[in-house]
Amino acid sequence: MVTRREEEEVNRLENQVENGGGGVWEYLCLVHKLKLRRSDMVLKHGLSILNDKKKRSALGPEEWTLYEQVAVAAMDCQSNDAAKDCIKVLQRKFPGSKRVGRLEAMLLEARGLWSEAENAYSSLLEENPFDQVVHKRRVAMAKAQGNTSAAIDWLNKYLDLFMADHEAWRELAEIYVSLQMYKQAVFCYEELILSQPTVPLHHLAYADVLYTLGGLENLQTAKKYYASTIDSGGKSTRALFGICLCTSAIGQLTKGRNKEDKDSLELQSLSAMALEKDYKQRAPSKVSVLSSTLRSLKI
Amino acid sequence: MAEDLVLDTAIRDWVLIPLSVVMVLIGVLRFFVSKLMKGSSQLPDPKIVKEGQVIIRARNLRAGANYIPAKSFRARKAYYSNEENGLLHVPKGEAQNPQAQMFSDPNMAMDMMKKNLSMIIPQTLTFAWVNFFFSGFVAAKIPFPLTQRFRAMLQNGIDLSTVDVSYVSSRSWYFLNLFGLRGLFSLILGEENATDDTQRMMQMSGFGMDPSKTLGAEKDGLDIIQHDWALPKFEQRAEAVLRKLVK
Repeated sequence: MVTRREEEEVNRLENQVENGGGGVWEYLCLVHKLKLRRSDMVLKHGLSILNDKKKRSALGPEEWTLYEQVAVAAMDCQSNDAAKDCIKVLQRKFPGSKRVGRLEAMLLEARGLWSEAENAYSSLLEENPFDQVVHKRRVAMAKAQGNTSAAIDWLNKYLDLFMADHEAWRELAEIYVSLQMYKQAVFCYEELILSQPTVPLHHLAYADVLYTLGGLENLQTAKKYYASTIDSGGKSTRALFGICLCTSAIGQLTKGRNKEDKDSLELQSLSAMALEKDYKQRAPSKVSVLSSTLRSLKI
Repeated sequence: MAEDLVLDTAIRDWVLIPLSVVMVLIGVLRFFVSKLMKGSSQLPDPKIVKEGQVIIRARNLRAGANYIPAKSFRARKAYYSNEENGLLHVPKGEAQNPQAQMFSDPNMAMDMMKKNLSMIIPQTLTFAWVNFFFSGFVAAKIPFPLTQRFRAMLQNGIDLSTVDVSYVSSRSWYFLNLFGLRGLFSLILGEENATDDTQRMMQMSGFGMDPSKTLGAEKDGLDIIQHDWALPKFEQRAEAVLRKLVK
């Protein structure tokens, strides 16, 4: 996770670099360390260092990691020629390296040569079945081809071995949601909540899926998770709407038979009020739309 | 108490300094030899990797159990710890001890042997060399007095109880160098040098750790855990948050 301070630092450096204020190397290091995706900037400024022989040799052994970073950024920006140049330099320096082999396979992938890239990745995995990056590239490739079921297969295979990788669980959850396989997505989001119980985003996404599934039990659970999102993440417009929707859906299902609902009506009216206040502050022109929406939910 | 011994400067030039220099050189040499012998780095066993991941996930489940609904928790608990094919369940026959594992995997035994050889052979040789050439020398004097307890440490190889403890025998100087040069090696050979004897000794003693035992412990931990869903409390807390917001 990138903290706010780190992000500010990156933005400050980016500004400075853009205006020609120096500090390019620090910026690139920070981007690399935080694993940010600012490929255009990395490509532009990384190349400016790499093309300057004096600056390049001043980096010492860090030069090669910069080549790698720029190569990946170039592929992300679809400037495959630049990536090819970088990879060639690395190939000359480290013949037979698996890390460079990975870059080559990625270049094949960037050029859209799916079957060649697939072969390259498989042979890399044969040599080292624990290369998580290659596993993930395969998933990404299946996704890029629009072949979601293959992506799910690869991800499941990957998670069978690396089952503690929460980012992979998140990816799988999102794919399942996009395919409307909500029951499977629920499992993935539970896994995410388990590994990071304090991240409100997971609670929110989990609640969304539960609400979509419907049914009394799921709706009640969804409402609880929307509530926990608000508790740990402050006001979240999505969660506030979620509470309103859940309460009205539960009300329709039970028709006021359930006693528990009477207590939770307060939560609903409070969220409606919070929403109205928020809209008045930030989007006064939409207040009428909001109140008509809330009225249609019988609040 | 004997009066002050005067140490010949030749002892400094021909014992103290050569001993230290040789120790450093041997350390460097061993680093490169072990690098040569190591060859291609070995891949970990997929089973062990998977077990590690299972343990992390089970720990997550234990820590975050109260954040998922009871139904999901029960399903997971069954998945992890059922007696037939749960992830954490280790069948009795399969709980192999590391020794058997070592014999079943000749590569591992080979690896261990290489490591041991690169550690033991130079050490025995240098020790024999020091013993043969420099036994019985008083090689140095440390500039502060010490109590009798340090005699075993500093005057190894001299059996005289009258010599002041602040004199260091050559054999003790060898031992001091053997264990004291670690910092220097990490300076000249980089952080992860192979000459880290003390650490390797720790590794050897810790080698008997059994992954199936951690799995079993994790399973027991899961079995006793009580599920107490935390979410209902959050509704009240969210109400409080919202009330503050609205005001």
